[in-house]
Amino acid sequence: MSHSRASSSAAFVDAARIDALLASIVPDGEDRAFVVRCILGEGPVHHRGANYVLLVLLGQLVEKLGASNVAALRARGTLPVPIKVPPHLERPQSLMSYPLPLPTGPLESLAPAGSPDQAAMVDCLNDGPPQHALANAAMMWLIGAALTHLEKP
Amino acid sequence: MTELPPGLDQALSAVAGELGMASASWVFVRAVARSEGDEGVSELAEKVGAELVVLDAVTRVWLAGERAPDTDPAKVVEAIGKATRVVVVGLEVEWLDRLLDELPSSVKVALVAHSAFPVDWQRVLDNYAGRVERVDLDTFQTWAGGKSALLTFAYGRAEDGRAAVLPLWLRACGADVRAQFRALIAWNVLSAPLDLYPRRLVEVDAEETFTHFV
Repeated sequence: MSHSRASSSAAFVDAARIDALLASIVPDGEDRAFVVRCILGEGPVHHRGANYVLLVLLGQLVEKLGASNVAALRARGTLPVPIKVPPHLERPQSLMSYPLPLPTGPLESLAPAGSPDQAAMVDCLNDGPPQHALANAAMMWLIGAALTHLEKP
Repeated sequence: MTELPPGLDQALSAVAGELGMASASWVFVRAVARSEGDEGVSELAEKVGAELVVLDAVTRVWLAGERAPDTDPAKVVEAIGKATRVVVVGLEVEWLDRLLDELPSSVKVALVAHSAFPVDWQRVLDNYAGRVERVDLDTFQTWAGGKSALLTFAYGRAEDGRAAVLPLWLRACGADVRAQFRALIAWNVLSAPLDLYPRRLVEVDAEETFTHFV
């Protein structure tokens, strides 16, 4: 089914805004440019636009809460978001991963760390094309920052 | 009236495989200019240019007074940035040699061994004495990663933003591969866009296709 009529344009996407949003999460500019391109510049237009809308709104939520401390979230643990290549092309001893990892802290409210359920959640969040997996990871950072802020005593 | 020898098109095709179309064109244009002057260069364009449009472009810039291509790799090195692996898609030895002179040895370089011309790849790679590794179209993704870059050569960019590249680029850089390499770099080896139909090449939107067009 064509999506061209419903989402033929993502001209509203402002990559600089997402770049700024991820600056504290992916400090290196080149790494961040790669992540932002995958989230906003690759894949179907409707995904690019949807990723942008959700990330900007979550960014607004985080900003209004004043929840900017990603270090605490990082300290709770992260897992790599793999770059998927056909299995026979994977480099041995070298994990191919994006420079944006997935924070696992927020998942602990859903399933204990190390549990099969949490592992399955990670698989779901990392699955699919990179514009999904990386947008999922970015959203998890923002949701995690908001939750961590709200959990403060 | 100059008298260029017959078979130049075949000779040029043979050399273009192992040097690249632009590099081979400069070799031929310089050689013809040395022996036959600008008149000979014009005749070379007439005889071979329609078949090898990159040669046609090189003869035009020669006749306009350009005596050597711009092979300064500084902007390409900048585009490669912190990448530690570079996969080269296509071959232009005049440009690649300069790049290898400037790239730190810690940056690994591979060449996709695929060409529209017959090529002795072992001979090509032997010239690099181990500095450049061989990968093939079906294996180059083993070099993918968050610190990996893809580099190809472009043959001019028109005013509408379309650039001519090797068909190999489109075969290599599909939607999946685009998200497996942090930088997608084109190094433009022609200072003027092609005048003729881009035989042996394909046109792409430079801005949409590449993260860096140098």
